[in-house]
Amino acid sequence: MRHQVIIIAAAAILLALAATPATAQAPAAGLFPGYTPPRTPDGKPNLNGIWQAFVTANWDVEAHPAQPGPHPEIMGAWGATPGGQSIVEGGVIPYKPEALAKKKENLEKRMAVKVTNDPHRYDSGETELQCYRTGVPRANYMPFPFQIFQTPSEILMVYEYKGAVRTIYMDPHREAPTDSWMGWSNGRWEGDTLVIDVTAQNDHTWFDRAGNFHSDALHVVERYTPISPYHMKYEATIEDPNVFTRPWKISFPLYRRVEENVQLVEFNCVPFVEELMYSPLGLYRPPSR
Amino acid sequence: MRNRVLALLAIAAVLCAPVLFAQAPSGTKAFDAKAVDPETAIKAAAEAAKAANAAAAANWTPPRTAWGDPDLHGYWLTATYTPLQRPAELAGKPFYTEEEALAVFKKSVESDAEVDPRTVHYDWKEYGMDAWQSPVRPNRRTSLIFDPENGRLPPLTAEAQKRQADNRAAARARNPQVGVQTLANWYTRCITGNNAGPMTRGGNPGSDSAAGAAGVTAEAQIFQTPGYAVLIMQSNSDARIIPLDGRPHLPSNVRNWLGDSRGRWEGNTLVVETTNFVAPGTNFLGGTSGTKLIERFTLAGPNTLQYQFTLEDPSTWARPWSAETLMPRIDPPLYEFACHEQNYGLMNVVKGAQTREAEAEAKKK
Repeated sequence: MRHQVIIIAAAAILLALAATPATAQAPAAGLFPGYTPPRTPDGKPNLNGIWQAFVTANWDVEAHPAQPGPHPEIMGAWGATPGGQSIVEGGVIPYKPEALAKKKENLEKRMAVKVTNDPHRYDSGETELQCYRTGVPRANYMPFPFQIFQTPSEILMVYEYKGAVRTIYMDPHREAPTDSWMGWSNGRWEGDTLVIDVTAQNDHTWFDRAGNFHSDALHVVERYTPISPYHMKYEATIEDPNVFTRPWKISFPLYRRVEENVQLVEFNCVPFVEELMYSPLGLYRPPSR
Repeated sequence: MRNRVLALLAIAAVLCAPVLFAQAPSGTKAFDAKAVDPETAIKAAAEAAKAANAAAAANWTPPRTAWGDPDLHGYWLTATYTPLQRPAELAGKPFYTEEEALAVFKKSVESDAEVDPRTVHYDWKEYGMDAWQSPVRPNRRTSLIFDPENGRLPPLTAEAQKRQADNRAAARARNPQVGVQTLANWYTRCITGNNAGPMTRGGNPGSDSAAGAAGVTAEAQIFQTPGYAVLIMQSNSDARIIPLDGRPHLPSNVRNWLGDSRGRWEGNTLVVETTNFVAPGTNFLGGTSGTKLIERFTLAGPNTLQYQFTLEDPSTWARPWSAETLMPRIDPPLYEFACHEQNYGLMNVVKGAQTREAEAEAKKK
């Protein structure tokens, strides 16, 4: 009887492991066989267009249930988090033990805002809350579209969120002058896949609102593969020996926005966060006397 | 290239002075001697201007993109020492001779390179931030404004005069006056950069304090793909996407800080019309959110982009007015300008102004 319980439990664990998606949120196998994308004048796959992810990874890149938001007493269902599946291959991020503790601490203090005149400014909570650039790969799974402009020497990505800009140097590659929020991108073509090497990101950004984080040793290799006129497969390998025990992968589809005359509408969030950031310091509205 | 990295680091330093100076970047010591020598810069600028004039005169044909549009792509410098409005002593003289232009340029560079110990907190040229440390060139125009012919802004309408008087009265009535929200300059708040709206508004020594510094983050990139042009400004990393397919503007209730741009080709000229601005800003020199900005980009030589803009706002000016500058081609790349993320300056500006107000009030009592 006791052995049976153990065997059943073991079988359940094996089944659960087998059910874990090996390819995270990649499109189902066989859905888009043998696609050859249209070409730009220089013969490369043409990725020009407005694209958007439809995963909930911006709330949590790992699997998560629907949850109330931080202020249900005023925000109700508006502030709630949608549930969603993990975009991480194998389901969970391979944190070092001390890093996992930090992630949990991050989640606790994610709404902390500490505007100071020194680097402690960045010890505060989640940076999207303060309208900071999100870094890569997060920019690609924000709930906002982004637009790709492709030339032989450089590819430009403009993100609706905060109007953040990335230039991907194709030819020649260029060296990062210093760390930045969106990092430094050099790209190349591997067959029909655009492969981008992203380095020199600072350590202030998080992967999501759930506290998943990295250090300034972050190295991201992104892969954009067109799989239909309207879909791209997005994959990224994430490496950071300060935080993770091994490199790990995320993937999800990018969807082409096909509406007539679709365009990015500016999301300049700076004025939306000034009260949050500066009011506690008495700087937003003049102090009353 | 190296100067521009240093310039950006220096801007970061100005914005977050306590941080960077505590760390004292050792890289600022190793400096290219040429970059801090005005004479060398003046000579190089004169030669560049001469080459540009020769190219413009030689019936030069601009290259085309692979899909047949005039090819404007590249990196361009918006810096100029030419003031927006013609100084009174130059009334009736729209152009200098080449010799005069060079002499005026030399004077501007020398005064820019001087450091006035009473007013200057940093010697900007130490960080490569003076305009003459960029490829800025002499200009034969005596003012950027060429229409009206007198080189001056058209008179304000009665409506605009009343609006500005009301705004000043409202500011005086606030007590105390200053908070983040009451700052009129979008750039101080990092909402947009210094080149939002018209890409240039004249340089030092400008006749208008709103003109801003001539040489700081004055780089812009033009990106072209079939059906689109994109303008990227170094200042605040502002990116303006310009569809060229003739689509209508966004509905008038949808407003962007950078406006809503539509472009078309007229011969070799890219014409861009921008409307739907959120709010009036200092970059519009008094114009309201109803301002229409029309820009014309034309290659005038392999290394020179002619940039003209027209501002139209019937509630502000009796007639539209137009200005022109010539932008030299510069080396890539641009760098990220994450202004809001490290806007230490804003806190200091507001705190400082509040302190001054409190002192003034205490004196009254």
